[in-house]
Amino acid sequence: MKKIRSNSIEQATPMLRWVSESQIEEIHLATLEVLERTGVKVDHPEALRLLKDAGCIVNEHRVRIPSWLVEECIRLAPRKIVVANRKGQRVMPLEKNRTYFGTGSDLPFTVDLETGERRRSTKKDVELACRVMDYLPNYDFVMSYAIASDQNALVSDLHQLEAMVSNTIKPMIVTAHDEINMRAQLEMAVLVAGGREELRKNPFLVLYSEPISPLVHTNDGVAKMFACFEYGVPVVYTPGILSGATTPVTKAGTIVLMNAEALAGVVMAQLKQKGAPIIIGGGATPMDMRSTATLYGSPETMMNYAIMTQLSQFYGIPNFTEAGCVNSPVPDAQAGMEAGTGILMAQLMGANLVHDVGYLEGGKTGSLTFLTMCNDFMDAARYMGRGTRIDEETLAVDVIDEVGPGGNYVAHTHTFEHFRSEIWTPKQFNRSFWDTWEEQGSKTVEDKAAELAKEIVATHTSELLDETVRTGMSQIIAETEKQKQ
Amino acid sequence: MSDFDSLAQIVISGDFGGAKTLTQKMIDNGVDPLEIINQGLMAGMNVVGVRFKAGDMYVPEVMMSARAMSTGIELVKPLIADKDMPSAGKVLIGTVKGDLHDIGKKLVVMMMESAGFEIIDLGVDIDPATFVKGVKEHKPQVIGMSALLTTTMLSMKDTVEALKKEGLRDTVKIIIGGAPITQGFADQIGADGYAPDAATATELCRRLIA
Repeated sequence: MKKIRSNSIEQATPMLRWVSESQIEEIHLATLEVLERTGVKVDHPEALRLLKDAGCIVNEHRVRIPSWLVEECIRLAPRKIVVANRKGQRVMPLEKNRTYFGTGSDLPFTVDLETGERRRSTKKDVELACRVMDYLPNYDFVMSYAIASDQNALVSDLHQLEAMVSNTIKPMIVTAHDEINMRAQLEMAVLVAGGREELRKNPFLVLYSEPISPLVHTNDGVAKMFACFEYGVPVVYTPGILSGATTPVTKAGTIVLMNAEALAGVVMAQLKQKGAPIIIGGGATPMDMRSTATLYGSPETMMNYAIMTQLSQFYGIPNFTEAGCVNSPVPDAQAGMEAGTGILMAQLMGANLVHDVGYLEGGKTGSLTFLTMCNDFMDAARYMGRGTRIDEETLAVDVIDEVGPGGNYVAHTHTFEHFRSEIWTPKQFNRSFWDTWEEQGSKTVEDKAAELAKEIVATHTSELLDETVRTGMSQIIAETEKQKQ
Repeated sequence: MSDFDSLAQIVISGDFGGAKTLTQKMIDNGVDPLEIINQGLMAGMNVVGVRFKAGDMYVPEVMMSARAMSTGIELVKPLIADKDMPSAGKVLIGTVKGDLHDIGKKLVVMMMESAGFEIIDLGVDIDPATFVKGVKEHKPQVIGMSALLTTTMLSMKDTVEALKKEGLRDTVKIIIGGAPITQGFADQIGADGYAPDAATATELCRRLIA
């Protein structure tokens, strides 16, 4: 009979708490004060009317939101949002403590995989990035990665969606220029899902829309969000900020301001439609006070995301955060440190949607080499996130006794049975001795990642979309283009 | 240390309270107001510019120095005829049509003001017609256009064209900036310059006006 322990607690995974529950509540109360005292600016007429009818104090575009209303809307927002893949399989439940990684959207520049040259991004870059992420197991969702800047700018976002759904089945987060283009994308999604009901049941795409800090909710930003709710499509409504420029320089002040913006979004969403699937969070990046660059991958961002993830867990609303986006312009040691620590932190905190993985130069330049390299970083973070198994088998007292003093474990069956799960194996890292490394061509991890990326691009294609769906999407793009010209 | 040196030092340290007190004292003592600006306030600000470029001072410190300088200038300005007011030049600036992001542009405005430029900030979502109207009204030496989005940056070309059509293109220098902008794009649309950040934009203006 198996021996059991009584009155004992097992901790399945490491537990990371950045601040206490009382401090989270302190941040929450400060946020409520900002919404009630300073309020927000709202440029969307329907949202303004909804807010006024619900009891907000509205002066022209300035809206002061009472605390009770914010708290009521937090309760209405779903605690769990399930995102499906392109085939309608419910692969990505956004709920407390589940972490998913993906890249970001709309990089203006790309380092060409073949030539190594940095140039303006194209639709082809979106396609290649999606194929690479479709293949690499640690990418759970995709975003456009690059901007399709070789296409008509009026509908480049539609081209990006087309490139994405044609090259991966993974769930996706999209961006849209405005409400018209958002609705066009939703119609494209209906085609892919096989009907509006199917899309509503198992949405495979999520919108990423933004307020503009500090405290401005634009007409386009809200209109895109509302359009998605009509289709049952979830929305990430989160700001991208610069601490010390668009928010207070202090980390706590940054979090309060961003939280106020996100919660104002939650209020508008729930007033538009009870239970509207909304995701909070954002990119909490400081400004470099010498160069004015946006500091992704900095220690401050990771510290901010830790608290923001705790906040989302406190509210029971899924969150959207960022890691693996670095300020280094090349995938070097600095990039490894910046990406590695952020990814690990996000995993250990249990953040939900972790985007921007594989970005260089503070989110301006893409590189398939770095995107591929990050797959190993995420793999290691997930390995650590799974925690340390403590039980009779792993404590190995019998094995220790059997081998005894002076023996060895290399040839023992216990080693044979457990080494794969107990020792993590990377795909691209260098771990050989110097001579062997030289013999094998003295390749750096960057060389190896580039090779793997090239191999994926050359050999891997995702499941093809139906011809009628592809034609239908092209038609929608053409019609939207005509409408906007 | 002379009062001029002290005033310069006060500007460098960003002590706007001190700038007010000392400027007033110098006015009361009958010091030439133009000298107060040139040898005191601006002299300090010039040092700030050099130190910032060298990486020895940070943006918020430059902002405080600029505030100290303008506190002093506010006091002496009524004593100087408009035409005698020293200015590095006049710049008309705005974020282009369809774009509501303005932190980058605000940074440029603040850095340029701290360097002694007179800035007319049109705001965000500015269409070509409004830029043209602004040029007619304010007669700036430089126009600055900012865009964060690749979709909106194309409107910069429309403004350049609109200025040509009105026969105003040769009266101003055009500079552009923002995350998706490159020197190549500036050349392509016929702008006179591009700068990757606020400090470089300020230098670019100086160079174009000189």
